[in-house]
Amino acid sequence: MSSASSGFKLGEWIFTTDHKRIGVLYLIGSIAAFAVAGLMALLIRIEQSSPGPTIVSDAYTGGDQYNVWLYFHGAAMILGFLIPGLTGFAANYLLPLMIGAKDVAFPRINALSVWLFWAGIVVALLTFIVPDKPDVMWTGYPPYSITTAGNTALYVFTVHLMGFSSILAAVNFLVTIIYMRAPGMGWNQLNMFVWSCLTALIIQLIFVPVLAAAVTLLLFDRYLGTHFFDPANGGDVLLYQNLFWFYSHPAVYVIFLPAMGIFYEIFATMAKNPIFNYKAAVYGGMCFIVLISGEVWIHHLYYSGMPDWLRIGQMITTLMISVPVGLMTISLFGTLYKGAITFNVPMYYGTAALYLLLIGGLTGIPLAMTVMAVHLGETSFVHAHFHFIMGIFSTFAVFAAVDFWFPKIAGKMLNEKQGKLGFWFNFIGVNITFWPLFIIGVEGMPRRYWDYSQFPVHFGSYHKIATIGAFIVAIGMVLTISNWLISAIKGEKAPSNPWGSNSLEWTHTATPPGPGNFPTPVTVDANWTPYNYK
Amino acid sequence: MKRAVSAMVLMGLGSAAALAEAGAKGGIPDPAASWNHLWHDVLLDLFIIGIVFLTAGLYWVWKYRASRPNQIGTAPKFDKITLIGLAVVPSFIFMADDFYLAAKGWTVWNEYRDVPRNAMEVKVTGSMWSWNFEYDNGASSSFVVDSKEGDGLVVPVGKPVVLRMTSTDVVHSFFLPDYRVKEDLMPGRVTYLWFNPVKAGETIATCAEYCGNRHSFMWTKVKMVPQAEFDAWVAKKKQGA
Amino acid sequence: MSNSTTGHNHAQAHHWETSAAPLLVVLGVLFAVVFCFVEWITYNNKMLAIICAGIGTPLLLAGIAKWTAEALTQKPVMEGLTPIALPIFIVSEVFIFMGLFVSYWTMRLSAGPNWPPAGTPTDMNLVLPIIMTVILVASSFTYHIAEIKSEQNNMGGFRLWLFLSIILGAIFLGCTAYEYNHLIHINFVPSTNAYSTAFYSITGFHASHVVVGLGSFLTVLIAALAGKTNKSLTFCVGLYWHFVDVVWFFVVSQVYYW
Ligand code: HEA
Ligand code: HEA
Ligand code: CUA
Ligand SMILES: [Cu+2]
Repeated sequence: MSSASSGFKLGEWIFTTDHKRIGVLYLIGSIAAFAVAGLMALLIRIEQSSPGPTIVSDAYTGGDQYNVWLYFHGAAMILGFLIPGLTGFAANYLLPLMIGAKDVAFPRINALSVWLFWAGIVVALLTFIVPDKPDVMWTGYPPYSITTAGNTALYVFTVHLMGFSSILAAVNFLVTIIYMRAPGMGWNQLNMFVWSCLTALIIQLIFVPVLAAAVTLLLFDRYLGTHFFDPANGGDVLLYQNLFWFYSHPAVYVIFLPAMGIFYEIFATMAKNPIFNYKAAVYGGMCFIVLISGEVWIHHLYYSGMPDWLRIGQMITTLMISVPVGLMTISLFGTLYKGAITFNVPMYYGTAALYLLLIGGLTGIPLAMTVMAVHLGETSFVHAHFHFIMGIFSTFAVFAAVDFWFPKIAGKMLNEKQGKLGFWFNFIGVNITFWPLFIIGVEGMPRRYWDYSQFPVHFGSYHKIATIGAFIVAIGMVLTISNWLISAIKGEKAPSNPWGSNSLEWTHTATPPGPGNFPTPVTVDANWTPYNYK
Repeated sequence: MKRAVSAMVLMGLGSAAALAEAGAKGGIPDPAASWNHLWHDVLLDLFIIGIVFLTAGLYWVWKYRASRPNQIGTAPKFDKITLIGLAVVPSFIFMADDFYLAAKGWTVWNEYRDVPRNAMEVKVTGSMWSWNFEYDNGASSSFVVDSKEGDGLVVPVGKPVVLRMTSTDVVHSFFLPDYRVKEDLMPGRVTYLWFNPVKAGETIATCAEYCGNRHSFMWTKVKMVPQAEFDAWVAKKKQGA
Repeated sequence: MSNSTTGHNHAQAHHWETSAAPLLVVLGVLFAVVFCFVEWITYNNKMLAIICAGIGTPLLLAGIAKWTAEALTQKPVMEGLTPIALPIFIVSEVFIFMGLFVSYWTMRLSAGPNWPPAGTPTDMNLVLPIIMTVILVASSFTYHIAEIKSEQNNMGGFRLWLFLSIILGAIFLGCTAYEYNHLIHINFVPSTNAYSTAFYSITGFHASHVVVGLGSFLTVLIAALAGKTNKSLTFCVGLYWHFVDVVWFFVVSQVYYW
């Protein structure tokens, strides 16, 4: 990008083992995935703007085209954008800096992770050039995924590559956090973001392997003729769904926890306050989520014919998640109390996050109630739920993180005006896009339908509004992303600690940090915390 | 923070009030009606929680704007006991609300799963891409997705209907939006759902589990007709088949 | 994005660390495993598959060689962390095997009395797995002795016992190959029935771990022949091997004898 500048050496970047550069490589990859998946979202929205075929060729082939867009959108947004954006980019760039380490424990493994992730993106992008495009959705349920003519192998390998990358990253970062903290830094002095990653990575370490196993079995069934999911030969259709959600529910907390962590950092810094009830949020919130996240997956199978005792039992555990999340929420909101809040672009996103967290989180509650989900499940109500909490709240966390740490990463200030303009487009756009989906969801608009002519005509109007919203978001996204690119080259030089933060990455490193991170080794004393504003 | 705590207590009271309001009804239960009722309770509950948090959050964001550069926050330092209280009390309030929701949900769920004894049984088979309905009186009906031919599911008004469902190929789902119910169809397993057609009329059921190219088109007519009309239809079907 | 000014940063004396090994490994895997498999199995294009393997394998080997060389010569960021990281990694391996075993149990338990399903040979060889167990356990012991020799700085002994372990591991793989060959010969293949499905997946997945273990033994041996050892590498390779050994107990008890 800035190869014009004298310091740029391509080899130093692609062979790099430095965590900061690897973080940036993650960022580039995940934003690329986001852009392509976002363009798919636009195609989806255009198609849904009218009940019958809109841009697909005709009613018969339309399904094939649309299903590929939707497959790519879902898979790339989750596996290619959010997980690597948070536990790849943000964790890589920030964790070693926040704990005062020179680098991660295994820099070469770290480089291996990022390139595995990139390989995953390459395989995912093959979707668009192979003749038999995968169309199994990001969930890949058999028997469809093993009988379709689409190329399920590409789906499986995308998951394998990204999954292996996450497992290695999890091992690497767990060791780093546990053993490489600056001398004197106790567990209760860690940044909230470090805690959020620690807990998210534990989840990743334990659950990703199960997903890997599940998709491997898909591959065997599809191409080697085994019968894991084939009831005619002793297999079990629901087995895959159970394995998949055993991973994929915890995976939402791999996204949610670091996203919360980022907003904690932003709130504490911009309000110049300590985290409210730190220990409750860490131990009662994050750690409790790790414990409980593996016992709730049935809430994705409420209408799949699981035994009733499981459907009811896991309704209760699922509802109980509101307790740790509630504690984290109180702590997040409470951090603002009696603060001295400065508003910049990250804080704009932070303020919006207050609302997004509530809308997205609270709409999970009716879905968590077995009997409510029997109607609401698999409708666009679910879409609206997870777009609010994941597609907007957590996505905004990535954008806020880039904006917040931009001066550190690039050594330049962002253009505030353009950032704020982008924010308003994004924020207004997402509301216009996803509120209509709540409404028609409750009325019964099913998911993954591109043609909904059989439903009442007003569904069409709601879909049209949603489409308009998506284009407003698109403008916002282009403004936001181009702001980074332009500011990285032309921005004003950043002061070393523009937000007056007390966290190590701002107070003890050069801007941007050089190799080895800290000019002199860091030690902290017992009174130090990243949030000690005195 | 005190304000927030008292607001949360209020929220708990609100839930209790809503609980008291739930009534019992006689005769054959109507799960769809119970669903609608519960939905309103849940919305109210969530609305209260949402408003409490959102007002607190937005009010603080607005109230505590920095008035001069380099100002720092003045958050009070709470002692240990207060902090524990501020974690434990809300936790119990949240838990109470969870149990309230779980209990109400479970009640309605039991209605959904207890099939009335006099229910009429229909075997439903889903496949790529058509629906097949077999009645225990020997009649059968179908709905073909591409040609939109067939009567679909026809049921008599006033008699509960239980569907025993399976699939011949991939996973489908029988979703009856008007009756607030859905359940998946799978090869190798039989699942069930039941509903209570209280009024004559016509509605649709639609496939809610992704099943490939024609997924969007995989719906079927559902007709609720008076008993006499239903008997005539069955008779005609038996002749025709 | 961040590079424009970092180049001018002279605050730290270090330079940017680089290594080509990770990228080589990933490219190798991408071609030799992913592309090769996709071409072979989904497009049935054997020619392209072989070309992909031909491109990938040297890249992969070069990457691994480079990596080992660097691992043996360069100082890690912090000493002593590898022996901690490996157990953590093994936790996630355990969960992969759990996924497989859970799948197997599900099929097994839902079959009820219809187990073993039709098509399973009635005379499954139940002696061979015992022999294989003995061999694998023996290899764990020989490796343990190798480790002791290495601690005593007895390079000759180390090489010898390491070599023995490799031989035992190879015999184990040979047994697997023999068994597969026999079973396939009598038409017991992965697609035969639910049992064959689980049998080949679980034993195959385990065997792939044996292959990885043997591969890492080889890298240690090659280094040892060149006179180099690395304590934590030796320890980790051993730990992994013991893990593979322990998993085998479950494979034998669940898949063969249950
Ligand atoms: C970041 C991602 C993320 C997060 C954090 C969540 C969080 C939650 N989700 Fe969501 N969910 C998804 C992503 C996410 N989800 C996705 C992607 C899907 C669809 C997958 C697919 O099928 O493709 C999905 C689907 C999904 C379903 C299945 C729907 C269906 O298909 O039928 C359910 C059902 O229970 C559910 C529930 C919940 C609950 C209870 C939470 C809770 O964690 C929310 C907790 C938060 C709050 C409750 C708000 C804050 C708390 C308070 C203010 C305290 C007080 C509150 C109370 C006492 C209630 N989600
Ligand atoms: C992180 C997760 C994430 C995010 C951010 C989004 C973002 C969006 N999603 Fe997403 N969506 C999912 C995750 C996400 N989605 C998942 C998991 C599914 C389920 C899939 C399934 O069913 O299997 C889904 C399904 C889904 C559907 C359901 C379709 C159906 O079931 O039939 C719809 C429909 O409206 C939709 C719309 C959108 C829109 C309009 C956005 C918008 O917010 C997108 C805005 C972004 C852009 C418009 C891109 C802008 C960028 C550029 C234009 C490039 C600029 C480049 C430079 C300047 C260099 N999504
Ligand atoms: Cu059948 Cu979707
Ligand atoms: Cu979930």
